[in-house]
Amino acid sequence: MQNNGSKRGGGILSYLIALLTIFALNFILPRMMPGDPLQAIYGEEALVAMTPQMEAHLIELFALDKSWSEQLIAYVIALFHGNLGFSYYYKDDVSSVIMGALPWTLLLVGLSLLIATVAGVILGIESGYRRKERIDRWLLAGLMLLGGLPDFFLGIVLLLIFGVSLNLFPLSGAITPYSGLEGLGLLMDIARHLALPLAALVLVDLGGIYLLTRNTVVTILKEGFMLTSRAKGCSDFCLRYCHAGRNALLPVTTATGLRIPQLFTGALFIEIIFSYPGLGLMLRTALDARDYPLIQGILLLVTITVLTANLFVDRIYQRLDPRVRYAH
Amino acid sequence: MHIDIRHEIRHDRMALLGILVLALILLMAVFAPLLTPYSPTEYTGRIFNPPSMDHFFGTDSMGQDIWARLLFGARTSLLVAVSVALIASSLSVLIGASSALVGGLYERFWMRAVDVMISLPTIIVMILIAAYFRPSLPLLILLISVFSWPGGARIVRSQVLTLKERMHIYAARTFGADQRHILKNHIVPDISPIIASMMIQDARRAVFMEAGLAFLGVSDPQIISWGKMMHQALAFTYLDVWKWWLLPTGILLSLTLVSLSFLGVGLEAAVDPRLCRHEHEQGYDHEHGCDREQGYDHERGVDQNDILDQEDEIGLYEMEQYEIEAHENENAVLMEAERC
Repeated sequence: MQNNGSKRGGGILSYLIALLTIFALNFILPRMMPGDPLQAIYGEEALVAMTPQMEAHLIELFALDKSWSEQLIAYVIALFHGNLGFSYYYKDDVSSVIMGALPWTLLLVGLSLLIATVAGVILGIESGYRRKERIDRWLLAGLMLLGGLPDFFLGIVLLLIFGVSLNLFPLSGAITPYSGLEGLGLLMDIARHLALPLAALVLVDLGGIYLLTRNTVVTILKEGFMLTSRAKGCSDFCLRYCHAGRNALLPVTTATGLRIPQLFTGALFIEIIFSYPGLGLMLRTALDARDYPLIQGILLLVTITVLTANLFVDRIYQRLDPRVRYAH
Repeated sequence: MHIDIRHEIRHDRMALLGILVLALILLMAVFAPLLTPYSPTEYTGRIFNPPSMDHFFGTDSMGQDIWARLLFGARTSLLVAVSVALIASSLSVLIGASSALVGGLYERFWMRAVDVMISLPTIIVMILIAAYFRPSLPLLILLISVFSWPGGARIVRSQVLTLKERMHIYAARTFGADQRHILKNHIVPDISPIIASMMIQDARRAVFMEAGLAFLGVSDPQIISWGKMMHQALAFTYLDVWKWWLLPTGILLSLTLVSLSFLGVGLEAAVDPRLCRHEHEQGYDHEHGCDREQGYDHERGVDQNDILDQEDEIGLYEMEQYEIEAHENENAVLMEAERC
């Protein structure tokens, strides 16, 4: 068990190294580009828009006229101040630009995480319980197929069917601009805009969690304690959810850690398709405009979020499983 | 010990379907210049033409023949798939197997590297790098390969760890075989089914990543790629052109990805019985033994019974059963990898 303990500590170390790797990449990549470092960090387009004072300020801030080691120190200091640089495209600090888009992405990712987990677990339990029946077979085949599709194509199909052809949902944005809606109307408007991107993200994500739950339930159903609870007169519902479902929660929690990065990258693509004003769409704009500080900032933020979430899931896992907890 | 993949796959309809579709796409890619009179980059003089006898899928916003671009896009996707599968799985085998054989600090270093790379969100790091370099095709292949080997290396390592204690390897060693000989003549042939399944997964991820990066517009503009086509076509959803531009491209990409998944799942199903047998013969993980592992052992035992039970049943059901097993196996393999 000592072995396990050191492995936990090792987990945190791995996350730290991963984080440092990202910082290092952010520092090294622009400085590897040919030409003037300021031009490499900010891109050619930015320089045109910049005043000489601003250039001087940035050179001083990042110590760009000094040696690599001094640049590194300046970079680390700027990071500690939460200064991710200046987005020339939005003409604002990168951190504040990102904060404007982050809530939409968090709304999208958070809701789909919730819906996909709940729906996946319920479908998985029901399907595993009815193994070999017709509904189980259809669910299995359908969700496997959905899981195989690239997430951006699934989003495009939804957009084409419900947005373009049937005209049921708005094609882009998160709210109707200048509508002046308030209260419930505003909420409905946000929900209408959210529906398609959310559906796309949930459908992409659902397959994995469904299969995992279903497989776990299929195995658990053969355990001795299931027979015991049936013998003592547990209801079907209780059997499914209190016994099988509860045991299926553990692998689902572990899998959630793996799903979070996928959800975030999926959201980046899906936001682009639906022009949903989150980080993904902003990334697309930044990539098109070659607004490098903004690209770096967005990717850094997503990486940190993903790493933190994984660390968190690792911790939860220990709390959730009494066997793991007692083992330490 | 040695299982014949061809024999296993022959009974798996999903995998066969996958192979069939992939073969068709391969034919498209190989005979691309014969199947269309147009060059994929040529300006035909007609913009947004609907499908006609001249242009099977019409023309796009740049006046290029869409069918030609689809055909040549297949070349890019398949080239990326095959190259990444070869490079990444070679790296996995080299690093995984050598870690298991050498051990010590060397092993600890590589396993730490694997942990770090697995915890990084791969696509995001790739977008970052691609944003700066706008990688050309060879660079892109290299980049995807570098990010694809860690998972495989873990699996290979855990397999080699069990293999190297086996009798025939001991025997080879007493005859004076060195590590390289053992790796080449004993270990690689033994884990070849696992390598095959790994390669299919690498290929699938590579196709997806290439298309994804092109879809974001961060690959070399000269590459003709399905992802790039979708990137361009998405700007014109308000016109009718999506019916013959966006949709066929997406369907072709999805077909490629789904058939690779089916093939991969089939291969995993073929690989697994061996995993089980190993587990029971060797019991190598007794030192890490805890409830969780026993649970999984048990699970695997149950699965095997399942396979035996179901051998007399036929039809759609059977083939789906293979999928279930395969997915259970995937978890088992993951767990296996995690454990070591």
